Amino acid sequence: MVQDNSGQTPSRMALTDLPAGASGRVMALEGEPRVCDRLREMGFCESAVVEKIGGQGTLLCELCGVRIALNDRAANFILVERVRGGA
Amino acid sequence: MDPQSSPAAHARAPVYAVVGNPNSGKSTLFNALTGLKQKVGNYPGVTVEKKVGTAYSQHGQPLTVIDLPGTYSLAARSPDEAVTRDVLLGRRSETPMPDRILCIVDASNLERSLYLVHQILDLCRPVILVLNMMDLAARSGLNVRAARLEKELGIPVIPCEAVNGKGVIEVKLAMSRAELPLPRHAWNVPQAIASAVSELQASLADNDAKLPLSARAEALLLLTDRDSIQVSGSTPLSPQTAAILTGWQRRWEREGTDWSSILVQARYDAIGKLTTQVVLRTPTGPSASDRIDAVVTHPVWGWIVLGGVMALMFLSIFTLAEYPMNWIDARVAGLGNWVRHSFPEGALRDLTTDGAIAGVGSVLVFLPQILILFFFIGLLENTGYMARAAFIMDRLMSRVGLNGRSFIPLLSSYACAIPGIMATRTIEDEKDRLTTILVAPLMSCSARLPVYLMMIAALVPGDRVPLLTKVGLMLLMYGLGTVGAFTFAWFFKKTLLKGKPPVMIMELPPYRLPGLKDVGLHMLERAVVFVRNAGTVILAISIVLWFLAAFPRAPEGAPAGQQLADSFAGRAGRVLEPALKPIGFDWRIGIGLISSFAAREVFVSSTAIVFNASHSGKGADAEAAPLRTALRDARWPDGRALFTPLVCLVLMIYYVFAMQCMGTVAVVKRETNSWRWPAFQIAYMTGTAWVLSLIVYQSGRALGF
Repeated sequence: MVQDNSGQTPSRMALTDLPAGASGRVMALEGEPRVCDRLREMGFCESAVVEKIGGQGTLLCELCGVRIALNDRAANFILVERVRGGA
Repeated sequence: MDPQSSPAAHARAPVYAVVGNPNSGKSTLFNALTGLKQKVGNYPGVTVEKKVGTAYSQHGQPLTVIDLPGTYSLAARSPDEAVTRDVLLGRRSETPMPDRILCIVDASNLERSLYLVHQILDLCRPVILVLNMMDLAARSGLNVRAARLEKELGIPVIPCEAVNGKGVIEVKLAMSRAELPLPRHAWNVPQAIASAVSELQASLADNDAKLPLSARAEALLLLTDRDSIQVSGSTPLSPQTAAILTGWQRRWEREGTDWSSILVQARYDAIGKLTTQVVLRTPTGPSASDRIDAVVTHPVWGWIVLGGVMALMFLSIFTLAEYPMNWIDARVAGLGNWVRHSFPEGALRDLTTDGAIAGVGSVLVFLPQILILFFFIGLLENTGYMARAAFIMDRLMSRVGLNGRSFIPLLSSYACAIPGIMATRTIEDEKDRLTTILVAPLMSCSARLPVYLMMIAALVPGDRVPLLTKVGLMLLMYGLGTVGAFTFAWFFKKTLLKGKPPVMIMELPPYRLPGLKDVGLHMLERAVVFVRNAGTVILAISIVLWFLAAFPRAPEGAPAGQQLADSFAGRAGRVLEPALKPIGFDWRIGIGLISSFAAREVFVSSTAIVFNASHSGKGADAEAAPLRTALRDARWPDGRALFTPLVCLVLMIYYVFAMQCMGTVAVVKRETNSWRWPAFQIAYMTGTAWVLSLIVYQSGRALGF
């Protein structure tokens, strides 16, 4: 896989940058611990697969068959790796 | 029942606590179990609603059921969630620890729901697991095997569809059991944090007097409960345990161990293993819910749907409510007349009719509007649409530093700020909640309508007000209030209530047909709170205001206006005149302002009395006709007209911003638990009203109006 300068694979990105319609696997949660804990408890665990349905500013996602709305501040904490779709 | 079978059950009927995620159907199950036998109160010291009801076992024995606020985790993030945690752990002195836990989960979303269940099973207490929404699960291709789950967890697991009553009898039967098994719940605490958990567990048992079984659960909880929200009335941690906890946290921070994520991950791993055995999936296409969402959350269609729903709601509030409002108005007037004719003349009779009956009646008349509003809100919440509306509004609200959750309270405030402020309880962030409470009364409520109508009638020359002028001015006032609310929200979030930009994470529940029983109960509950308020706070204020307007007594045969002019209220109006003159008002308008401090619509009736207008007929429009002539004839002592078009406009602007509602003051006091915030609200709102009125009046004068 091609590596970029930061040493990360280019497919790793914040959930906000994942194109609509694509699915991503949660790689890490980075940011305010309090918010990260809540995200984890809502199911955004490392290795969970999340589908971004759409939305601007406030995103609409699907996780384990449940629709979750989250604003970009929360979505920025979620780093995902694109697994399919949204090409 | 055999007296030998269970001494414990005979000593006292077990107390149940109902817990579950938000939107899991918890309240529906609670309503189905208890019906109308509910008591709504507050947990002392926090503005969290405490709902306790009575259900009956199969033998007719009463069972106490506590409905705890919905939560995703026992690690609390809001005061609501802290109450759930503390009641379950027996940390609240006024609410004894429940004997048994009724845990309700959404079967169509089992993996996520089991997180809370996993934490609750740690408590080692008798638990009944209710798998709600089995119909939804089946429709989305999930076969949830309840029997298998029961075998794995070792506790009763009951499939249920609370919204149509299926499975409720089975839940009651399980609740009636004299003995319930303890959960067979074995999971290994991850190696990295295991020693910390056992050390904390030992300290909790020794220093905090925790039972050995629940000490482990509490120890685990301490690790994910980072900020550990403390609400008043909850017992704090002993210093020894707190020291051990900080010691471990420092060590982990040095080592770079993310203890909390290890723990959450371990729970989800255990849940993942469980669900693969329990849930069989058959792939299905996009569900009906997804298809509706494609329209309702669409960037363009979503706004059109939201606009349509809002328009329908306001149309209903302002048109349908008219008939019951007239009916209540007539009944109140009838009661007043009956008292007037049946009792001897005197201060006591006047106090009853003009003070108590008129005062409480003027507020009760809004009950139909409030009921219609709550019918719509209940319906929108019940069907799952409300979360979508909040989602659509979130982006707009974030511009002023609030999030989508503040939308519902502000929307409700167009009808009446009281239910609007009560609806702020779902806002997690304390500062966001306070900001919403502070600006909610700026949304033009229905009590301002009569004032606007009267002033528009007085403002426009000629006998008939052109419809377009009326609607235009009305929209201008509504727009002014809305812009004011958003500007102040932005200002408060930048200064007084400065906080981090909001984080919003909100689940969108699947759409469902509404349960009319739930909507009905919701309306009833709100109506009771509203009527109780009218019967206590508003009654007291009405009596005081009547006294101020009726004393000292004018001599016999004095004209109607004389009494009010010489009364305490009239004198206060004169005292206020120096402050009112710069905005174009005289002392007589001042009396109107003072008397309408109880409720804005009182301004119309008191103005009619002060300006000595004989008025007859119903409704503000009919009232406005003779009153309009009286207002046009009103003069300053130097002969200038008092109600110039400019003054009428200024009065409307004043009423848009001024805090003129005792009901709101009372509810803000209750919701914020202090007099500080309502006092601040009165000061900033009335201050803004005065300053804006001054600017508009003085600029208008300078321009020659």
